[in-house]
Amino acid sequence: MSEAERERLFLENAATTSAGTRSVSGTEALLSALGEIVAMDSPVYCPGVTELEKAAAPLFPVRVDDYAAAAVTVEEVFGGIAETGTLVCSSEGGRAVQAGLLPAHHVAIVRRGRIFDTLDDFFAALSGAPPTNLTLVTGPSRTADIELTLAIGVHGPERLDIILF
Amino acid sequence: MSHEQTSLAFRENTVRALKDSPLRAAMRHATDTFGTKRADAFAPLADLEALRDRASAIRDDVLANLPMYVDRFVASATRAGATVHRAKDASEAREIVARVLSERGARLVVKGKSMVSEEVDLNSHLEAAGMEVVETDLGEYIIQMEGESPSHIIVPAIHKNRRQVGRLFADRLGVPYTDDPQALTKIARKALREKFLSADAGVSGANFAVADTGSLVLVTNEGNGRMVTTVPKLHVAILSVEKMLPSLADLPAFLRLLPRSATGQTMTSYVSVITGPRKAGDATGAKELHIVLLDNGRTEILSGESRDILKCIRCGACMNVCPVYRAVGGHPYGWTYPGPMGIVLTTLLTGMRKSHPLVDASTLCGACVEVCPVRVPLADLILGLRRRKVREGFSDPRERRGMEAFGKAAAKPALFSLGQRLAGAFWPLVRALGGKDVAGRMPVPAKTPLRRRLP
Repeated sequence: MSEAERERLFLENAATTSAGTRSVSGTEALLSALGEIVAMDSPVYCPGVTELEKAAAPLFPVRVDDYAAAAVTVEEVFGGIAETGTLVCSSEGGRAVQAGLLPAHHVAIVRRGRIFDTLDDFFAALSGAPPTNLTLVTGPSRTADIELTLAIGVHGPERLDIILF
Repeated sequence: MSHEQTSLAFRENTVRALKDSPLRAAMRHATDTFGTKRADAFAPLADLEALRDRASAIRDDVLANLPMYVDRFVASATRAGATVHRAKDASEAREIVARVLSERGARLVVKGKSMVSEEVDLNSHLEAAGMEVVETDLGEYIIQMEGESPSHIIVPAIHKNRRQVGRLFADRLGVPYTDDPQALTKIARKALREKFLSADAGVSGANFAVADTGSLVLVTNEGNGRMVTTVPKLHVAILSVEKMLPSLADLPAFLRLLPRSATGQTMTSYVSVITGPRKAGDATGAKELHIVLLDNGRTEILSGESRDILKCIRCGACMNVCPVYRAVGGHPYGWTYPGPMGIVLTTLLTGMRKSHPLVDASTLCGACVEVCPVRVPLADLILGLRRRKVREGFSDPRERRGMEAFGKAAAKPALFSLGQRLAGAFWPLVRALGGKDVAGRMPVPAKTPLRRRLP
């Protein structure tokens, strides 16, 4: 699969799961996309650990350290899977995977080079002991427990935005 | 609350269910929707049969080497920092979970959806020990509030319509009545969020256990499984021994089959792979992880003629297509697991004495075999259990004598032919005495038997 094909498939499949998707190049474009997506959601939880998170954090004047109290989490995640439009969130490096779960809005930045073609490729690339928590996220939290009618945002986010960087 | 097994009353239970028109409407809607969604989800998969073969082969290998995989899982999970407990039966499993929780002073326990915990009737035991146990899957939350048991293994409250849920929430939670599923979901989110944040422990099941890495795999949509396993400081997982997969590389086949078969999704919202508790430097995971591996008769099933039922990955596809389940729903089966897989598992796990009417609750049409993602030969297994029912003397003696007599007569052409003529001659009498109930169900004997009409 070519790089362009992989990115296209990733975004297309993510969009079918009701996730918002964008593809940007350059820090400036990333910050402007973040500004639009996060908009009035406040307070923001942004771990400020990775380079991209450090660049993004100053955008948000009202930040909290406690993700349980945040309206939105903005973070860079471990990677993505093109086959299913899935995000890979990992606890590796002391990351709180549940920070992408508790707030009503989850904004995930994925680097282009971190997209795997298929689920098989992803699991094959895992070598040695897996991290304590590895969570594959495909679309927002959902249920169909009442009359099989889709309802969004049960216990996890009702809104998921993915920015491919 | 505790649920007594009522499988022996299957016939009476179905009569009640068939008279319940909201139930029948809900079942029809749900199973039809599932059927369509499932078909749509599988349509783009070019190599579905190869995928089923692969998944089936992996499950066969797991069963052929189960003790080895279980030992490997125990070693890997222990190395990852989890405490693994082996429970030989339901009461041992309940005791272990209750002890782990009470020794750590747990008062409020949040639960993720787990059919194994239903199988061992965990909630009533924990409640008796003074704990508050809150089911957090929306469907489970609804039926817990109603004091019912699940009627479907994927969608526990499948038998309820939105108005029933609306009235229940208004009644119990003191919220204004609404029958909008999205609004009802929001109400549950709010009520349960408080519970998650103040819970002392989370109890979950697991869809798979990975032998190589000691990982638990949870496949969920709502996010409650993630909450239960990452927010409280203590996590207790309860699962049955046959849930093993050899390695993480085996997982993708099942991640492709399970959501498509279960809910018609290409992928569930969340797949969590949990390997041990929180370690130094981690910011995710419970501080303490206990894993309870339940046998409860599975080792015995493994050495018998029905072992293939242990390949089951609990997707629920077999029940959605079953003409019996579709008509009556899950409750008449009278125990934890309904539908075709439930017939087999209930009979094996609780014994023929407590469940024998179930083995007749199938038309053997084979629809379940068609949809099973891991090729469990459900019709053959049910047929095998029918033979066992007769062998063990649980069939109706009149039926047995009748069949024996028919067998003898059918082996002698002259006697068979006489029988055919008598059936024709006595038909008006049968119809007069039996009424339309009998006459409506029995085929009218042909005037000239087929055998004599053929050249």
